[in-house]
Amino acid sequence: MRTMQPCVTIGSYLWAQDRMPYDEFLLRLEPLHAAMDANNWPAVLAFGDVREHGGLAYLTNFIPRVRWGMALLPRTGEARLLCAMSTRDLPAMRTLTWIADVQSGMGPEWTKQFDPWFARFAGEQALRLGTVGFDIMAPALRQAVERSLGARFSLQRADDVVGLPSPRKRPRELTMLRASCKLLDAAVETMVQSWRANHAPEAAALEAERMARARAAQDVRTLISLDAGHTLVPFQGRFETCEGPLVAYIAVKLAGYWADMFVTVDDGTAQPAAVKAQAALDAAIASVRPGASRGEVHAKAAAALAPLKLHPALSGSVGHGIGLSLHEGPEFGATEAATLEDGGVYTVQVGAADDRAGHALLLAIVRCTAKGTEVLARSSSAVGG
Amino acid sequence: MDERVTATTQGRLSDATRHLAEHKLDGLIAASNGLNNFLESNAVFVLSGVRPIGESAVVLDRDGGATLIVTPAWDETRAAALSATERTIGTDDLAAALKSAVGSHRLDLSRTISAGLSMLGAALHDRIAAALGTLPVPADELARELARIRTPEELAAAERATWIAERGYERLLEYARPGIREYELAAELYCFTKKLGAEDNFLLMSASQHNLAVRAAGERILDVGDIILSEITPCYRGQFAQICRTTAIGEPRPVIAEKFAILQDAMGEGLVAGRAGATVADVTRAINGVIAKAGYGDYCRPPYMRVRGHGLGITSDRPGDIVDTNTCVLESGMVFVMHPNQYIPESGYLMCGEPVVIGPTGARALSARPAAFDVIAV
Repeated sequence: MRTMQPCVTIGSYLWAQDRMPYDEFLLRLEPLHAAMDANNWPAVLAFGDVREHGGLAYLTNFIPRVRWGMALLPRTGEARLLCAMSTRDLPAMRTLTWIADVQSGMGPEWTKQFDPWFARFAGEQALRLGTVGFDIMAPALRQAVERSLGARFSLQRADDVVGLPSPRKRPRELTMLRASCKLLDAAVETMVQSWRANHAPEAAALEAERMARARAAQDVRTLISLDAGHTLVPFQGRFETCEGPLVAYIAVKLAGYWADMFVTVDDGTAQPAAVKAQAALDAAIASVRPGASRGEVHAKAAAALAPLKLHPALSGSVGHGIGLSLHEGPEFGATEAATLEDGGVYTVQVGAADDRAGHALLLAIVRCTAKGTEVLARSSSAVGG
Repeated sequence: MDERVTATTQGRLSDATRHLAEHKLDGLIAASNGLNNFLESNAVFVLSGVRPIGESAVVLDRDGGATLIVTPAWDETRAAALSATERTIGTDDLAAALKSAVGSHRLDLSRTISAGLSMLGAALHDRIAAALGTLPVPADELARELARIRTPEELAAAERATWIAERGYERLLEYARPGIREYELAAELYCFTKKLGAEDNFLLMSASQHNLAVRAAGERILDVGDIILSEITPCYRGQFAQICRTTAIGEPRPVIAEKFAILQDAMGEGLVAGRAGATVADVTRAINGVIAKAGYGDYCRPPYMRVRGHGLGITSDRPGDIVDTNTCVLESGMVFVMHPNQYIPESGYLMCGEPVVIGPTGARALSARPAAFDVIAV
């Protein structure tokens, strides 16, 4: 789900070397090096900003809290990280990544940071550099980068070649995702209990956020409904009470990895929409297997939901990848042919909005394997009170 | 339209329409990347009153007709209830919706300007260029220029944000103690300010026995002898306000209070210098002068400090960074944070700062209690 982006992320982002040691990043760089060899890229530039940084974080552990970061990753030799932070802030930035050479990307002359690093590639012929994440880079910044590189280098989009972030999670990533899901479950429980104690939906969501942040969540996003699940709104600080079920969304990031959940709780009789949504979620999860298309999962969910239609808050999608990004594409849209991968971790989401049947949104985080689907988190237990 | 849609936003739309007429322009496309950066002007918020979730735009024509376009599509209901524009569209395809709105408003793109398009991601920027056929001439300063003076309503919101920040700091004084981790304290502080109505908070909060700078909270366990640095910056109805505070856990070494007094003096000089008609450079020199006189002139530059303050989004970040090269002339009603935060070798980094509003005889702090060097008894 898209949520309101906070102006800064406040949790601890230190490079936890016990959980993500240096050798993990060496292993992660191997496929990138292979792509560099195959495409004659002496280096790859990986960019990320405060909102979207999956590829950058995967390769460097660096997650920008504000603005952006860019890793200069050579095939051989030392990497450099540029971050849009003042020189005052560099000692703190150096604790967030395995890259030792961290330089400021702020100030009128920041692009001069490129020159000494790129001098190693000096030659007569222009070279091509691969780029990751440049689609989200602001045009003004891209122009500054290109001006600095001049005629010595051309940029070639590498996103499709290197395929970051991958839906298939490495063992250490899976450990982090499981921890995120555990914290998510606790946060959801806190939200539901708070709501049952007659707190407004926004107050209940804030209580869940506080609990998760106090347990080291790096980021927490919430959406709540003030109209019984018809629409969702971000935090507004108004704490309005409302009738009907609790319908909300919460996402928690721990050690870089996201887990998210829809909450639909009705302490009376579950509405028909909630019952249908449960069936649709079951059908969607049952259709998850390596090689299944994302469109196929959509079709199964939609069929189980019929005659109700998919909730508009889902933007026509019944799922997506999840990990270092809250949304790892492609979406599980009706016509999406991309297939699910063995070892892939996905959010599967369903819901219905109907004036007579009611409104419900449900979600599960699943790991797709040839041996079967593992459900890492699921919102089903909260339905019906 | 929501009751909170204010005269301010309607006034900004009128001001922008007047700007189009004065410059014989046909229209304006104001865009936001949805990041709500506290150091930037969000042109979509300025012209609609809506903090966008995703990439969004306002299309304004020469007659004052305006359309807000928001992503994702499902956010349309919320946005429409809040927006000052006559029309609101929710979409998952901003480029296509922009093309349609440009057609509806009959804009001649050769006589249309833009604000904020250059802040969008390159891929979306290119899609918009392809959809429109050509891009309007950039006028990226327009929104921050129109909103550079806070209206009474905006000033009231900034004062409320300051009130929240001060209550947040009081909560820090109650909650901080040896044995808890930085992120636990940050969690409490962050959520406490949200409970008071802050919709966002640029919160930096860290501790050390000798700080080099303030940073975001980490995993460090607070201990006796720590100096906690906090930069508490809640946002209330689109107005960020920032206070900077320094707090000791347990009785500190006397030298720290002695050095903190230098920052308080520098703040006082900055407030005097910050009158309408003075330049930002004048204010900076007044602050740096005190610190230099105390023997720390060599430290009035990065990495020992960053800036002596800065504008506050998300309406207008004018007058910009408080640095000695900024020649921007201060005007009554401008709001920014003034902070002589400084690394001093004997004490480490110390923080002292208030949100201020410029007046004819000087700057007035919006906070009720100026920064003091506080001590948490243990």
